[in-house]
Amino acid sequence: MGMPGRTGDHEWSQRHLSHYVEGDLRPRARRRLDRHARGCADCGRGIRAMRALVYAMQGLDGLAGARAPATIFDRIRLAGPGPASSQNA
Amino acid sequence: MPPDGRPAPDSAETEASLLARAQAGDVGAFERLSGAYADRLFMLLVRLLGDRAEAEDVAQEVMVRAWRGIARFRGQSSDFTWLYRIAVNEANRALQKRARRPAGVSIGAGELELPAAPEEEPSRQAENSELRRALGQALAGLPPPLRTAIVLRDVEGLSTQEAAEIAGVGQAAFKSRLHQARLRVRAAIGDEALVSSGG
Repeated sequence: MGMPGRTGDHEWSQRHLSHYVEGDLRPRARRRLDRHARGCADCGRGIRAMRALVYAMQGLDGLAGARAPATIFDRIRLAGPGPASSQNA
Repeated sequence: MPPDGRPAPDSAETEASLLARAQAGDVGAFERLSGAYADRLFMLLVRLLGDRAEAEDVAQEVMVRAWRGIARFRGQSSDFTWLYRIAVNEANRALQKRARRPAGVSIGAGELELPAAPEEEPSRQAENSELRRALGQALAGLPPPLRTAIVLRDVEGLSTQEAAEIAGVGQAAFKSRLHQARLRVRAAIGDEALVSSGG
């Protein structure tokens, strides 16, 4: 396969890095990306970057001490009877 | 039953009995039932809206809508998923209202930036603080549907099925949004910064 194929593989791989780390590629597609990334520094780094991104996003969940405001139920206390006077939720 | 890491109502009462009482009009039971998720729900709103004051206002509205709608809640989804879905809908409504304002206030990236975990080493904290700032800015720049997808799946750690249900779309559409969101955030931050973050 000549350059057009490699270019096509590269663009395709770049578009599917998230699918790859998510495990959303079928085996044949995964092998295609693996094969391309072995010879492509950009895509190899792209896989590491995408994994790091997912890891970093998970780290944003470290919300120690985050508290809902004490006022969160104020309006339902003012609103009075609820379920009987229901609207679309 | 809430997924791992989420608080359950803090009493011997089961969620089912609290739900039954809430549906009969017991506001105290409703507060205990939904209060178990209030902190996570509030932080979800902060992340989606990028504005803590607006998140406080919307959180109150979420509770009002949940209270008014609880009689029709049949338990097809978990009460957590149900509340989160109301929160996402209300956040979207607030963002639409904001977009219609003449001097549209953009989402505040600073609000999406989160404090370092206390157990991190100082040097690591500094690096990660840079990354958090960059992530906050990148999330703030996403269109709301993409931001919702990446926050629910990657930050909140929900399953695709749960996150898609909360976002109100099918799983294939949800995944498409998630992948687009990740590609945009990756492009905004850059591979070098991500790889050197050591994730």
